[in-house]
Amino acid sequence: MSLPHTKHPENPERPAPRLRYGEFLSAVRVKQRLVSYNDVHAEVPRHGRAPRLRLLDVHRLLTPYVSVRFLEQARAVVPLALFLALFQIAALRTSVIQGEEIAFGMLAVMLGLMMFMDGVKYGLMPFSENIGFKLPDRSPTIVVLAFAFLLGGIATFAEPAIGVLRAAGAGLDPARTPWLHLLLTRYPDRLVLAVGAGVGAAVVLGMLRFIFAWRMKTLVIAVLLPCLAASVYAGLDPRLAPILGLAWDCGAITTGPVTVPLVLALGIGVSAAAGRQDNPLSGFGIVTLASLFPAMAVILVAAGLVAEVPDPAALPALVGAGGTRAWWDETPVAELLASVRAIAPLILLLWLAQRFVLGEKLAHRQLIVYGVVVAVLGMTLFNVGLTIGLIPLGDQAGNVVPSAFHAVSGGEPLYPYPFGVALTLLFAATIGYGATVAEPALNAMGVTVENLTDGAFPRRLLIRSVAVGVALGTALGVAKIIFQWPMLPLLLGAYAVALVCTVLSVEEYVSLAWDSAGVTTGPVTVPLVFALGLGLSKAVGAAEGFGILAMASAGPIISVLAVGLWIRRRSAGES
Amino acid sequence: MMKRRDEIVVLTDAVLITCIVQRGSADAVVDAATEAGAQGATIFYARGTGVRQKHLGVLGITVNAEKEVLYIVAPGDHADHIFERVYVAAKLETPGMGMIYMMPLEKMATYVPPEVAARFGHHSSHHG
Repeated sequence: MSLPHTKHPENPERPAPRLRYGEFLSAVRVKQRLVSYNDVHAEVPRHGRAPRLRLLDVHRLLTPYVSVRFLEQARAVVPLALFLALFQIAALRTSVIQGEEIAFGMLAVMLGLMMFMDGVKYGLMPFSENIGFKLPDRSPTIVVLAFAFLLGGIATFAEPAIGVLRAAGAGLDPARTPWLHLLLTRYPDRLVLAVGAGVGAAVVLGMLRFIFAWRMKTLVIAVLLPCLAASVYAGLDPRLAPILGLAWDCGAITTGPVTVPLVLALGIGVSAAAGRQDNPLSGFGIVTLASLFPAMAVILVAAGLVAEVPDPAALPALVGAGGTRAWWDETPVAELLASVRAIAPLILLLWLAQRFVLGEKLAHRQLIVYGVVVAVLGMTLFNVGLTIGLIPLGDQAGNVVPSAFHAVSGGEPLYPYPFGVALTLLFAATIGYGATVAEPALNAMGVTVENLTDGAFPRRLLIRSVAVGVALGTALGVAKIIFQWPMLPLLLGAYAVALVCTVLSVEEYVSLAWDSAGVTTGPVTVPLVFALGLGLSKAVGAAEGFGILAMASAGPIISVLAVGLWIRRRSAGES
Repeated sequence: MMKRRDEIVVLTDAVLITCIVQRGSADAVVDAATEAGAQGATIFYARGTGVRQKHLGVLGITVNAEKEVLYIVAPGDHADHIFERVYVAAKLETPGMGMIYMMPLEKMATYVPPEVAARFGHHSSHHG
C-alpha cells in the first residue's frame, strides 16, 4: 500500500510540519489488518461448507427481504380492513365480533400472500419464462395452442382467490335459487372447471391474436357480443337468471397474480416467434378475454345443469352434510390439501412441458423446490386467513351495514332511509376506491401506460379513473343487492355503454381500458367484496348476493375509455 | 505559450473508493460516506453474483443479484476513514452484502471554488 497520503514525515520531499489530518484519523480509526488475497484465496476451499452465520447476519439478510414483501401486502390489506372495522364501529355503532381472530386471519392473509407471491416468483416464473421463450420457436403452433389452453385452465386453479368460491354457496337459500345453490354446493367442481376452460379458451384466443395481430377492438366486440347474447338468454329464463351475477363475478376472480404473469410470459414468446414488432401494449388484452370467457362458460354449464336436473328439490340430500368432519376436513389440513391440489397440477404441467416438449433439464433445481414449497405454504396460510379473517370480516360488514337504513331485529334503523342508503353506497364506493388505489398491479400498469402514451395519460390519472370506475361499479353492485334489481339490465346497460365507447376509441385505449378491469380485482379485494355481497344479501333478504365484482369490473372499462376519449378531444382541440 | 487563464486545477492525492451493495441500499451507504467526509458519490446499477449461490443456501434468495455500484472520490487523507465508515454502514461483514475496494487516482479535476484555488497560486479568468 503506497498511496500518496501515507507518505511519512521522514519522506524528504514532503516534511510534515504539523500533525496531518490523515494521521489523526488513523490514530482513532478501527484497526486494519492487511492480509494478502492470495493467501486467503488459497485457504478458502473451492466448494466449501456454508459459512457460519451469526444470528445478526441472518437478521440482516432476512429482515429487509421479508419486510419489503410484507409491507407490499400490508399496504393493500391494512387500510381496507381498518376501514371496514372503523365503519362498523363509527357509523353503525356495532363492534367487530371476534376481532382478535379476524386480526389473526388478516395477518395470515398478508403472510400467506407474501410467501405465495415469492414462491410463484422462484418456483413458477423461471419455468414459464423459459417455456414461453422457447416453445413457440421449437414446436408447431398447434402444440403451443394446446399448451396455452392447459396453462390458462390449470393456472386458474392456482389462483388464491378461487378458494372463495368454496365458501360462496353456504348462505344461499335452496328454495329461492335452486339451481345456483345446486351449482355451488353439489357441483362446485363443474363451476371451477368451467371457469378454467373459459380462461383456457381465452388464452388460446389471446395467442392467436399475437400470431395474427388481430385488433383488440374487433376481438372485444367479437367476444363480448356472444357473451351478452348468452347472458340475455340466461336472464330471460327465470331458472337461470340468478346465476348471471355469479357467472360474471367468476370472470373477475380468475385474473389474478398467477394467471396473468404466466400467460404474459407465453404471449411475449409467441409474439416474438411470430416476428412481430414487440409492441408493449400488445401484452394487454389477454386479461380482458380471460374475464369474459369464464362468464360465458359458467352460463353454459348452468344451462346444462338446468337441462340435466329439472327439479333440484327432488334430489337426495348431500351425503355427509352435517355429519362429523374427518381430520382432513379440519382447518389447517383441509387448507393444505386444497393448496397442494391447486398448485400441483400447474407444477406438473410446467415440468412436463419443460422435460418432454423442450427436452431440457431444470436449472437451479433447489431454488425451484424452494419456490414450490413456499408457494404451497403461502397458499395454505392465505386460505386459513381467508376462512377466519377476510370472509368473516366482509360477511359481518355486509350483515350490519343494512342496519343503517333497515330495521334489524326489531330495532329502529340508525338513520332515515334515504340517508342510510346513501351512506351504504358511499361505503361501498369507498371500499372499491381504496382497494383499487392500493393494488400494486395497477400502479405497475400506470407506469407502463405513462411511458407508452408519452405522458398524455399520466399514471395518477389512470389509477384515479380506474378507481372511480371501480367505486361506481361497486356502489351499483351493492345497490343491485339492496334493491334486488335483476342482473341482466345492469349488465346490458353497462356493457352497451362500454361497447359504444370501445367503438369510438382508438386501439391503445381499448386494450388499456379492458385490461384495467381485470387488473383491479386482486386476491384481497375479491374475497372481501364477495363476502360483503353475500352478507348483505342475507341481511336484506335478497335471493343472491353476486354481481358486485361484475359491476366493479365493468366500471373501470367505461371510466378509462371515457377519460381516453376526453384526452383525445382535448389534444385535438389544442392542435 | 499557454495563456494563464487557460490553466485548470488538477488535483492529485485523490483516491477512488468503489463499493458494491445490493440494489436499494446505496442511499444509506452514501449518507454514511457523506457523514465521514465524502463530497459526493456516483451510483450506477449493475448485476452481479458471488457468495450467494455457493454458500448461503436457502438464505441466498434474500440476496438481490441487482446491485448498486458507488463511486466515491476522496482526498487520500480521508479515504481510510470513509472506507471504514462505508464498510460498517453497508454491513459488509455479512456474507452477500457486497464488497468495497479503493485505489489511487493519478489525477482528478472538478469545480474548485476560485478563492480556494487562488490560495494555491491558481489564477482564474475572474482574477487574472
